[in-house]
Amino acid sequence: MIAIEQWAGSAEWSARPRPRSGVGSFVRASAMPDPQPDVTAADLAGLLDAVGRQDRAAFIRLFEHFAPRIKAMLMRSGAAAAQAEDVAQDTMLTIWRKAHLYDPSAGSAAAWVFTIARNRRIDVARAMQRTLAEGDDQQRDQADDQPLPDAVLASVELQSRVREALKGLNPDQQRVIVMSFFEDRPHAEIAEALGIPLGTVKSRIRLAVQRLRDLLGELQ
Amino acid sequence: MSITHHPHAETLAELASGHLDSGRSIVIAAHLERCRACARQVRLLEAVGGQLIEDAVPEPMSEGALARMLGLIDAAGPIAAAVTPDLASQVTGETAPLPAALSAHGMGGWQWVGPGIHRRMVEVSDDKGARVFLLKARPGTRMPDHTHTGSELTLVLSGAFSHSGGRFGPGDLEEADDSVEHQPLVEPGGPCICLVAMEGSLRLKGLAGRLLQPFLRL
Repeated sequence: MIAIEQWAGSAEWSARPRPRSGVGSFVRASAMPDPQPDVTAADLAGLLDAVGRQDRAAFIRLFEHFAPRIKAMLMRSGAAAAQAEDVAQDTMLTIWRKAHLYDPSAGSAAAWVFTIARNRRIDVARAMQRTLAEGDDQQRDQADDQPLPDAVLASVELQSRVREALKGLNPDQQRVIVMSFFEDRPHAEIAEALGIPLGTVKSRIRLAVQRLRDLLGELQ
Repeated sequence: MSITHHPHAETLAELASGHLDSGRSIVIAAHLERCRACARQVRLLEAVGGQLIEDAVPEPMSEGALARMLGLIDAAGPIAAAVTPDLASQVTGETAPLPAALSAHGMGGWQWVGPGIHRRMVEVSDDKGARVFLLKARPGTRMPDHTHTGSELTLVLSGAFSHSGGRFGPGDLEEADDSVEHQPLVEPGGPCICLVAMEGSLRLKGLAGRLLQPFLRL
């Protein structure tokens, strides 16, 4: 139910780089079944582990699974297809280089890949700003480049719980969570897009995060 | 000593989704190094991001993308074990080790900014201009009464301060914005060292504040 309309298979969305700001039809109806995963979370963790040992065949499978999804995610946040593909390639190259740092006890493979793609996107955005600002040669922020050293969550278990927990959010909460992850804009702009005060966006996100925590109960 | 003041949930969500500016990201990352509860919450939000990737309807890569990728990884050669400089053990000149979140950032020297107060700037590349610095205040220092023109994150690395909003000890993080007025008092004992990310500037209040303002370039 958290899935975004185009993820339910709408072909037209890729023709418009950014969705209408109304976002009314943003979230797939809860009656829709989840798409059948072609690879399980456990498979992905195993593949990532193998890539950490420089397994080229495993890398090809990871590429085929993640690169098109990363590209889709970036296009969803407003990137042009070519730029989205560049960042997806860059993310996959980083995955090849850093897979040995992946700790399965610290989170799912998808969550780790998400953090790599997120950081690549930030790097690209900052590099572009630097180019525009000219002469700013300060180094990039690497603060959150690696998974946090906390090993309590079993990755496969967490992945399925998160999926269920997302379904348990009400539509308003889903909308702000989806927008904060996929609309490449700050909370102030989300507020503008939804026509609600900034404080309401923040409180909805706070409530949504609280609700996710409650739904994930014993993990906390 | 347990941590009692944490970032807002929406700030953690901004960090996890990649929308927090780099200045504030550093301060939050430094808090996460000390706070398991918040680190778990960020982990949870990153798992949300992972699930959203998993749920994405794949957008096919262009013709030859995989072949180009394999060319790149073959050209890259074997991966050397990651070498991370151990700057975290570097000390601030006092007793508190620097957060690992600062390890990738250059820093200036300590500068005097006011009576009992020194500041050390952290180099950050960011468009939004959140300034990041270490602030060190002598025990017993009463910071000037002030409000903010933007938001401010303050993470206590060592020592402690209190104001009307409570007591802030090591690991505690304060999120203040322009609705907050406070006059922190540094506790006796050791100096209080904080990591601060600040948007906008401070507005000092009262006559003493107005007199100090030109000197306190915060």
